[in-house]
Amino acid sequence: MTKWITIAKHEFAYNVRRKEFLFMTFGLPLFIFALFGLMIFLSASSISPQDFTIGYVDKAGTFEGNFTRYAGEDIAKNDLLEGKITHFFVIPADYRSTGNIEIFSKKSRTQGSIEGEIKAFLLDNLMKGDNKELVERVKNPIKSEYFTLNENGESGKDDISGIIISLAFAAFFMLSIFTSSNFLLQSVIEEKENRVMEILLSSVSHRDLLTGKIFGLGAVGLTQVFIWQVMGIAVLSSGPVALLLKGVSISIPLLIFASGYFILGYLVFACILAGVGAIATTSREGQQIAGIFTMIGAAPLMISQLILSKPDSAISMIFSYFPLTSPITMIMRISTGNVQYYEVVLSLIILTVSILVIIELSVKIFRASLLMYGKKPTISELIKYVR
Amino acid sequence: MEKTVEVTNVSKSFNGQTVVKDISFEIAPGEIFGLIGPNGAGKTTIIRMLLDIIRPDSGEIKILGSAQPEETKDLIGYLPEERGLYRRLTVMDSLLYLGALKNYQSKKRALELLEQMEMLQHKDKKLSELSKGMQQKIQLIAAICHDPELIILDEPFSGLDPVNMKLVKEMIVELGKEGKTILISTHMMDQVERMCSRIFMMHRGSGVLYGSVGEIKSKFGKNTVFLDFEGELKNIHGVKRSNISGNYAELILVDGADTQDVLKAIARDVRVSRFEVSSPSLNEIFIKVVEE
Repeated sequence: MTKWITIAKHEFAYNVRRKEFLFMTFGLPLFIFALFGLMIFLSASSISPQDFTIGYVDKAGTFEGNFTRYAGEDIAKNDLLEGKITHFFVIPADYRSTGNIEIFSKKSRTQGSIEGEIKAFLLDNLMKGDNKELVERVKNPIKSEYFTLNENGESGKDDISGIIISLAFAAFFMLSIFTSSNFLLQSVIEEKENRVMEILLSSVSHRDLLTGKIFGLGAVGLTQVFIWQVMGIAVLSSGPVALLLKGVSISIPLLIFASGYFILGYLVFACILAGVGAIATTSREGQQIAGIFTMIGAAPLMISQLILSKPDSAISMIFSYFPLTSPITMIMRISTGNVQYYEVVLSLIILTVSILVIIELSVKIFRASLLMYGKKPTISELIKYVR
Repeated sequence: MEKTVEVTNVSKSFNGQTVVKDISFEIAPGEIFGLIGPNGAGKTTIIRMLLDIIRPDSGEIKILGSAQPEETKDLIGYLPEERGLYRRLTVMDSLLYLGALKNYQSKKRALELLEQMEMLQHKDKKLSELSKGMQQKIQLIAAICHDPELIILDEPFSGLDPVNMKLVKEMIVELGKEGKTILISTHMMDQVERMCSRIFMMHRGSGVLYGSVGEIKSKFGKNTVFLDFEGELKNIHGVKRSNISGNYAELILVDGADTQDVLKAIARDVRVSRFEVSSPSLNEIFIKVVEE
């Protein structure tokens, strides 16, 4: 009766020691952090204003400031070519009526921040004599804050936490499925290839074997996600990223729902992938079939706009209950508050029932197609197996 | 007494191709039983059905009196033809895991068997570090480590050198003495001749011969000559077919041929150091049955 637990334990212990697992779990985040760090470093160094030395040629005759002033374009061009300045711009005589400005540089594309500096220079000159406050306002006229009115006419500050949380959940969910689909497929296909399968099946039932694998390898995937989460929180709570997320508040019930949907949704995919592993003859073929299911799983992300704005439309409803899409859809709806209590209960029941049904179907397919090495069953054969 | 294995009218086909055709046989407790036939005869399919890895299309299989495979799986030991173990696990971990799946995990017995098979010093090595023959022995230990009642060995001798072959044979004989029921499936029919009390011979999915080795042999009469010789053996009158390997030959005589005439004819050409009239080997019997 408890043989599937023995198998689950073994699968867990065997797979967390794999090099691929260790690499994915610790190597991948480090690689991503390193990549981000490099990107931030590069972009920061390329836009730093110290790198610019800007000159100008003033044909209108009234502009002054802390840029190098040139009497004519020829001298400015010479200095640009010799590298004394990085940019210069020409203010034509009719600038005040046309707004035309010609900017010269040695590189073909000019960074946006150059224009910002020139703009500030021009504004300072155009508004000479007006008070400093007004100049500041013209330079930066709007600092926005949004409010929404509810039915009682009370206004509340707009909270984007819901959207951020649901998108983070969706991204995390998809990432976990993508990475652990590998483990499941490989493990089933590998045992088919190295023929350990036959020994295992002489000791345990097909159901025990598949259930043990789903839970053991599922636990491997969840462990990986958990480690990533801890690493992520460590990064997010330190340094500049924490500032960005200051406004996000997570409620405890949402966290509980999110965990519940995550685990159940994850198991639905794990069961499907185990079934896919049973019919696939190579891991590449398995990946292809599995891709179809992960695409469906990602569908709510693609139409998240619709789900968030029209939570009671037919598509939102279907997505809320269809087991492959319901975790992401429901978390989106819960986090934005557009959901009834019974809907949550119903979708959780559907998820649980589908796990049991899919295990049952996978076991049948597994039994029927297992030892037909090198031959993939056709759709009609699959239907026959399932009956 | 209750039979250990009862197979009744079992058939199985894959994709419309019949692999096993209406097979029936029984194995009594404590018997060493041979399931023999050439490659592709359907032996492995029968074994997989005995283990409930696949199910028969029709017919009934009872193991130790039960038709419920879940009740008996723990009492069966299985050495599959396609060997397979976790390559990255150590010998000891593999044995303990497979034991746990049979609800019988005994480190003591695993160590005893490793010692008996001269593998004790390798117990902490990974399977991938062992030679093929060594892996083979580990696989055999895994099949019997949980002290099963019924032991099913699919091609137990393939890939073994003579020393290990002897070890494995001794092990099988000893298990038989302990009262275990053993089913040996092999296409190397001569290997099991002396070991098995009874055999079931298959050809293309059907049973062709079934009974005790002695009975079967006596039915085919003494028409075979084992010959050790020096020189060059030519066509001999009265010999239907000959298998010559170096200085040894098996001659199958035509029906009614006189062995003395044959001996005289041979002695004219070569020096004879052994001339033994005997029953045909199982190989020969098989060929004869199939030809008919």
